[in-house]
Amino acid sequence: MDIRRSFLSTVSALVAVGWAGIAAAQEKTLEYWVYSDFAQGDALALQQEFIKEFTAKHPGVKIEIIGKGDADLTAGQIAGAASGNVPDVFMNGIGTGAQLVEVGALANVYDKWMAMPEDYRNQFNKSAIANCTPEPQKMYCLPYTGYGSLMFRNLTVLKKAGIDPSTPPATWEEWLGQMKKIKEAGMFAIPDQALVFNSIAEMYAISGDVSTWGIDWDSRKTRIDPAVMEKVLQKFVDIAPLNSGTSRNDQATKDLFVTDQLAFHTVGPWVNSTYLEAEKNGKLKYDFVLIPGDTADKRGGIQNYEIVGVAPGENFDISWEFASYVTAKEQMARWAKLLSRYNSNAAAMAEPEVASLPLIARSVESVGYAMDVMPPYLVKAVPSCYSSTVVDIVSATADGEYSPAEGAKEIVAELNDCLAE
Amino acid sequence: MSSQRSHVPHYLMIAPFVVLFAAFFLYPILSGFYYSFHDWNGVEVPRFVGLANYEKLLGSRDFSRAMWNLVVYISITVPVGILVAFGLALLVDSFTGRWASFFRNAYFLPVVLPAFLAATIWRWIYAPNFGLLNMILGWFGLPSVNFLNDTGTMIYALIAVDVWVSAGFNMVILLAGLKNIPAELYEAARLDGANKWQQIVHITVPMLGPIMFFVITYSIISAMQVFDKPWLLTGSSFSEYGGRRGALLFPVMDMMGRAFGEVRFGEASAYGFLLTLAIVFLTMVTFGIRKWRERS
Repeated sequence: MDIRRSFLSTVSALVAVGWAGIAAAQEKTLEYWVYSDFAQGDALALQQEFIKEFTAKHPGVKIEIIGKGDADLTAGQIAGAASGNVPDVFMNGIGTGAQLVEVGALANVYDKWMAMPEDYRNQFNKSAIANCTPEPQKMYCLPYTGYGSLMFRNLTVLKKAGIDPSTPPATWEEWLGQMKKIKEAGMFAIPDQALVFNSIAEMYAISGDVSTWGIDWDSRKTRIDPAVMEKVLQKFVDIAPLNSGTSRNDQATKDLFVTDQLAFHTVGPWVNSTYLEAEKNGKLKYDFVLIPGDTADKRGGIQNYEIVGVAPGENFDISWEFASYVTAKEQMARWAKLLSRYNSNAAAMAEPEVASLPLIARSVESVGYAMDVMPPYLVKAVPSCYSSTVVDIVSATADGEYSPAEGAKEIVAELNDCLAE
Repeated sequence: MSSQRSHVPHYLMIAPFVVLFAAFFLYPILSGFYYSFHDWNGVEVPRFVGLANYEKLLGSRDFSRAMWNLVVYISITVPVGILVAFGLALLVDSFTGRWASFFRNAYFLPVVLPAFLAATIWRWIYAPNFGLLNMILGWFGLPSVNFLNDTGTMIYALIAVDVWVSAGFNMVILLAGLKNIPAELYEAARLDGANKWQQIVHITVPMLGPIMFFVITYSIISAMQVFDKPWLLTGSSFSEYGGRRGALLFPVMDMMGRAFGEVRFGEASAYGFLLTLAIVFLTMVTFGIRKWRERS
């Protein structure tokens, strides 16, 4: 009897161990790489909530969230692709997408996307989905957070310069007039827009639009229209004496704005948290409006997106499920409410609780007008000489080394040389 | 046979080093050399392109700009950095007890400070209009200088940061050398009527020769690989780096941009190999000068 009992208990123990082994073998751990600011504080807590909800519905799936800085994110994904060790689900900027496609880090999710219910597919901003789909039946990402640039205005500076802030400038001419008044009052009008590619793109959008911006990869030529560029370069010449000498990304620019020395800051909505904090402390009075265009019916500004990508490989199916869960309306609405940040899920942006947030409402409006920063995306990696050529010649023209007409001609010629390389 | 067998423990003892050296040093160099003749995106099968990567690099505007910036940078930052470190070492050496320890630690602090923190501090110091330096200039009625965006000042702004960081490290090494100089030499010099300056020129500097040689060689090699400070000071990314009009563009930054911004690992490997050759050449020159000085 004892022998039989001990035999049975041994067998049941072995069966239990066997089941545990099988269960362990079936357990999948997904690596989920996000931007470092999404992996701390409230943002991390919400991401973990998404993970918890998803894993509750998918027993045996574990998700490890890892935050990385921009450069580490890209370098890690590219190096991971080379060594066959890409994270399963990851974020990056859409501008980096072409490199990730080239190294095979981003799987083609077109079939998965088309298999999703129409209701899900209709949730997203159409142009953002188009940007993720460089050619028919090839889709490499789901658009995630993003922005349309806004013009943050320091109301104290405007008033000191004798400008009524109740009506934002409707055209470039009106805006330039205000900037001159601000300089005359001894303050800075605007950061140096010639220092970084994105602020140059923002200035271009005042006169031009996406039809004459970006790269034509078939002919390997820039799409920049020299006539539009000449107008834009004239703007850089006009604002050269009015700027603060700092770039739109510098901490010094934010400091100037908060200390009532700078009137306008055209940038994405991420600066709002700093300005809101200063306002709460009684140090700043500001608002945010759309960037004017050359005419009253046109607006300036750029739009850009972060993406969620899925790696090819054995975890592809479950990774796609997680990526599509995180980007779905319910999650994106919670995300938007928490961070007061625009994202590409148009249905989430239309949720009353989200749409009532002023920064989001203005961002949605901005995205309607804004120009893509570097289209077309996910086709080929843009050579570094492209952005450095634009920045160099715009800076040189603002410094007076070229006339706007010469500068425009030079930019187009040099960009075509750069692309031909 | 027995003599060979008697060396087995020695081979075993150096084996861990040789294995690690081969895996993490020799192999990357040799594979980098191999890929430099290939068009390779890091994933697909490399395609042999002969010298095309080298030709492309040598004809590239950014390569020339990065190399020129490097020449200017090295020719200023190495001598200035060593002079400052030597001055600090003499200063610290003149103190004893608690003060010596205090100054040694204070000057060494920038070495252990994370690069991003150092860059943040210096970006604030250099900020136009209200940065610390511009505030000081303002007190003297001088106009604000845009240190990190004015192409005429950017490289000097970087050199100042570099000297601030590297001086502490070089100082500690030179200080160790100073402590090894026999005190009798100074006593004899003093008895012969030598002043402080003469003691430094005729005793300290010659006696520090081997240490100074190490510091110079190490400083040149470090300067050739400059990356993090200009990258952080200019707020660079893989798609946009080098600051206004490429005034702070350096070879390692350009190499990283080509590798991770454009996934052209073959070209980046050629870049790395050219840089390695330049480093080896300059190191050989310093060794050559040293030998020549010893002979003469």
